[in-house]
Parts: sequence; structure tokens; C-alpha cells
Amino acid sequence: MNLFASKDDVIRWLGELLKEHVVIAPVRVQEQTTFQPISQVEDVVFDFNNTALSPKGWFLPPTETLFSVQRDDGKVELVPTKVERDAVIFGLHPCDARGIALMDSPFLQEPSDALYRERRSRTALIGLACRQAQPECFCTSMGSAPDDPSNVDILLTEGEDGYIVQAVTEKGKALLPKGLAEYKGKVPAPPKLEAVPTKEVVSAMRELFNDPYWEQVADRCLHCNICAYVCPTCYCFDMRDYADKGKVERVRSWESCQSPGFSLTAGGYDPRTTKGERLRQRFCHKLLYFPEQFQDVACVGCGRCVRDCPVNIDIREVISNLKQVTEAKSGS
Amino acid sequence: MDKELIQQIRDKARNLLKEGTVEGVIGYERASDDLTSRPLFAYSPSDTERLIFDETCAHNLVKYLLDKKGKKIAVVVKPCDSRAINLLLNEGQIERDNVFIIGVGCPGMVETNWNHKSETLQAKCRTCQLFKPVVYDFLAGGEIERQAEEETYSDITEEEAKSVATRREFWLEQFGRCIRCYACRQVCPGCYCPVCFAERLDPLWVGIRIAPEENDMWQTIRSFHLAGRCIGCNECERVCPVDIPLSLLNRKLEKDVKELFAFQAGLDPEEAPPFATFKKEEVMEFEK
Repeated sequence: MNLFASKDDVIRWLGELLKEHVVIAPVRVQEQTTFQPISQVEDVVFDFNNTALSPKGWFLPPTETLFSVQRDDGKVELVPTKVERDAVIFGLHPCDARGIALMDSPFLQEPSDALYRERRSRTALIGLACRQAQPECFCTSMGSAPDDPSNVDILLTEGEDGYIVQAVTEKGKALLPKGLAEYKGKVPAPPKLEAVPTKEVVSAMRELFNDPYWEQVADRCLHCNICAYVCPTCYCFDMRDYADKGKVERVRSWESCQSPGFSLTAGGYDPRTTKGERLRQRFCHKLLYFPEQFQDVACVGCGRCVRDCPVNIDIREVISNLKQVTEAKSGS
Repeated sequence: MDKELIQQIRDKARNLLKEGTVEGVIGYERASDDLTSRPLFAYSPSDTERLIFDETCAHNLVKYLLDKKGKKIAVVVKPCDSRAINLLLNEGQIERDNVFIIGVGCPGMVETNWNHKSETLQAKCRTCQLFKPVVYDFLAGGEIERQAEEETYSDITEEEAKSVATRREFWLEQFGRCIRCYACRQVCPGCYCPVCFAERLDPLWVGIRIAPEENDMWQTIRSFHLAGRCIGCNECERVCPVDIPLSLLNRKLEKDVKELFAFQAGLDPEEAPPFATFKKEEVMEFEK
């Protein structure tokens, strides 16, 4: 059953949620829209294209302390970071919600990541269906859709004079405000997106592992970390122990396969030294290794890497090229 | 698009590849948005048909010469980019004989993002006084005549007038957004250390935390390494995904070096940047 909430209802509801929860929502910072814990409901932006960074940072922050070491009277204790409060992420688009669902595979598989698991179980996701698509969007080719409710607890769809509210999970139902009227009207149709030829992309990746194609695309790659850091599914990290005036803590920060030294091992050996090998790793992880391990391709079609790559390495074009190169090889 | 200019670039590139003068030509092609542009590496004469040049060709392609050391490569350079060639020649990073420079006069580049092209010239272009490259082997399209504002550093003097506390607050906020993606470093023609200080473990200059203080350290050392070496292509600021105004730092250092040493990077391949030279007569105050 769909419910209806006016914009005022939604704002009041957010105000209520803010009393008991950390509310992470899209806000405007300078020229960009980005997800941040809000202190007041007035800051929330309802109408936005995909945010600068995805909301993955709530579950895997750019930097976090995993635990600290306390020494007391010769005793050494490892004190894990505590998750203090329940949280709600408000307004995430279906592609970003799918990104979180994909990250669950590596992080929640046993042995699970304790901090990720804790934050994930204590966070509710209130999605916002996309009423318009951007030219870089291709979620429908990546197992989602602009109106996909499958990875959120509640999905809102902007209708006339308000929002159509769909409680997807029990967790979502429990969060709903009381007294919302039933909505019997039609739900607006989602925007149509151009398709990317993803069929058989996994086998094409395997087949073209040693193809010169990778060195050709990598020629223009700068090997910055933009694509990985704006990506809702890239989850590689680095860890280091910090020791300062007797205080010791283990810190985890985002890291990317494009970084120099990412694959450097003790003893100085680096299995990925060429530009092509490094760039290929990004696509292999998304389109070959991840689906081999967890079934799904690790891309949600949000288009952020397409939008932000300084040299226009466009994953949609790479996927199309893979198809062309495979076809040319098999002579079909 | 200036069709005649593009034809000249294509003809030159095709001939260079046909005659075997170079192994590859680095230029620009249309991006996947069919509106802006991206770097193109042309290795066969037929690839050269994809070459273009227009007001969206902002990338400084000189950076890529560092990936092609020891190979004979042609590169399309705008006037500002050409200063990077002089910098790299002076610092012994590239060999003049290995590089064929296809210079282009520049009408100024506009602000672009993927699938967006504004009518506004990039700030650096509004004050650019170079109308043709400072070094080239072939000049496509000839010198361009255009009006440019004088570089007054008015934004820098405005910043300088503010208190240290105000400036510190401003920059910590800016650096607070930094995600340490290192795009500023990766795109910079002057950033080519085999192991960047940011990745060095011993000594450890800066940690891995993506947080204001460490970002501050990263950005401060990055800009100081470019003092007197930054050639002003402003690619770092253009590619920054979180819009940190890096040109304020870079141009502050450019202004200081200009005032202290009467030097601007990349204008002359023979003159080394001030921090790369030492003259006996440069006795420092405290030694007197």
C-alpha cells in the first residue's frame, strides 16, 4: 500500500527523525551537493542530480579509527570504535542504495567487518526515486532502475504536491510517521535510459585480460583516484597504525588500485607496473572478479566516474569496446 | 571549431607518423559527450582523422611526455602548455630531440565539465599574455591576436590582506573537503618524483588520514614543491573533484617568486627555477 506525504509532512518527519537519529542527507556545500549529517532540516536538498560523492562514506568513511590501544598499569587493551547512535540516510537514489547492497557482500560475509556491520544494521535507508536521469546515468543496465525500491527501507517518489511513500521493509514501516493517508493514484513513470551492452561482459573481461586494448585506454589515464573515490562500490582501503605520545590507534583510509604503490609488496615487487595493468585492475575488479565472487557486476550505473574523470575514461564506452573487440576476435 | 587549423594539425600529425619521424602523436579528440574533448594518442596515420582542436581542449598534454620517455613523440601544445616543455627540458626530464612540438595559437579555453560547456573563459585564460607557444617545431593556425586583461593578482592581494587566523580557517575548510585523490598531482607536469613524499613511509612526511590536518600538510608541501616551477596551466584546479581553489596557492607562490627572483617558470629552457640553483654570492642573512 502506498501512502502520501506532502513536502511539509516530510520536513516535519525529518525533524522528528533528527531527534533520535543521525540524519545523513544531501546538502549544498559551495557549488556541490553532497551527503552529510545534518543539524537542521532546512539544509536538506530535495532536488538534485547525483551527489558529488556517494553516501558509501557513512559505512566506509574516507578515514576512521578502527580501534585504539589503551595501556593501564601494564595492561594493554584494544578499544574498538563505538557506533554511538542509530542513523537514517535520507534521499539516496536507487543506484546509491544498490551500491550499499553490493558493498554488503565483501563487508558482511564472515568474518564480517565489525564497524561496517554495526553501522549497517543501525542505519535505515530512505530512498528517493529519480524523476529525471542525467546523460551519464545507466542504472537500468546495471540491475537497478530510477524507481527501484529493492535496496531501501522506504522509497519516496515525487508526485504532484508531495511524495508517494512506499514502505519496503519492516524497518521502514517502523520509521514511518503516523497518520499518512493512503495514496491510490498512479506513480509517475521513471525516466527512460539508454542501454549499455552488458550482456556477457564478464566472459569478455576474462577473454580480453591480455589484450593490448588496456594499454591503449590507459595511455590517457592519469591514475588519480577520482573514479574510485566517487564510486559507490569501490571499497579498497589502506590501514596504518598511528602512535603519538603514547596514544596508539589503527586508522583505515580510502585507497585505490590506481595509486602508485597500491600493489607494491614487501621486498619491492609490484605485480602491476604498466599503466594498462593498473587501469585494467579497476575494470577487472568491477566486471570480472566481483561478479565471479559475488554474482553481481560491481557497478550501479550512477555515472559519477563518467561525469568526473578528467580524461573521459567512460566505463560505458569500455564495456561497448569490450564487446567490439571480442566480436572482432571471434570473427563474428 | 576552426576547420582549417584542425586540418593543419591532422596533416602534420599524419605526415609525422607516415614518415616515421615520431612513433605517436598526442593531441585531442572529441569526448564521449560529443561536446568536450579528451586526450588522443594517435599511433597510425588513420588515427589522425580523429584529431580536433577547439576551446574545450584544456588538458595539458605535456604531462604525458613523462610516460613516453625515450620515444619520439609529437605533442599538440597550447601557449601555456608549452611552458611545461621548457620546465621539463630544464629539469632534464625530456630530450628536445625526442619531442616534436605541434604548437597552436590559443583563443582561450572555456570552463567545461563532462557534457557541459560554458561560454565563460577560464580565469587563467583571461589574463594570459601568451598568444603563441614559447617553443614549437610547427605552428598550426599561426599566432592568434586577442585582448587579455593584465595579471594584477588582485585576488591574491585580497587574501594577503586577511589575518593569518582568517586564512587558516579558510584553508582548513577548503582542505577539509580534499579526498586525497591526488588528481592535482597526477595531472601536473611538474609533479614527477619517482616516489612522491605523500607515499613515502620512511621518512613519513604525511599520513594516510583523509582529514583536514593531514590534507593541509599534503596540499602545503604539494604547492611548495611547485614554487617557481608551476607554469600556470591550472590543470590541478580544473580536475579537482571537490573544487578546491588551488590557483590561489599556486599564484601566490608565482607572485612571490616573481617579486623575489624576477622569475617565471617555463619561459626559458636555459634558466633554472630559483630553488634549483645556488649561486655563491647568495649569502644568507644569518651567515653574515
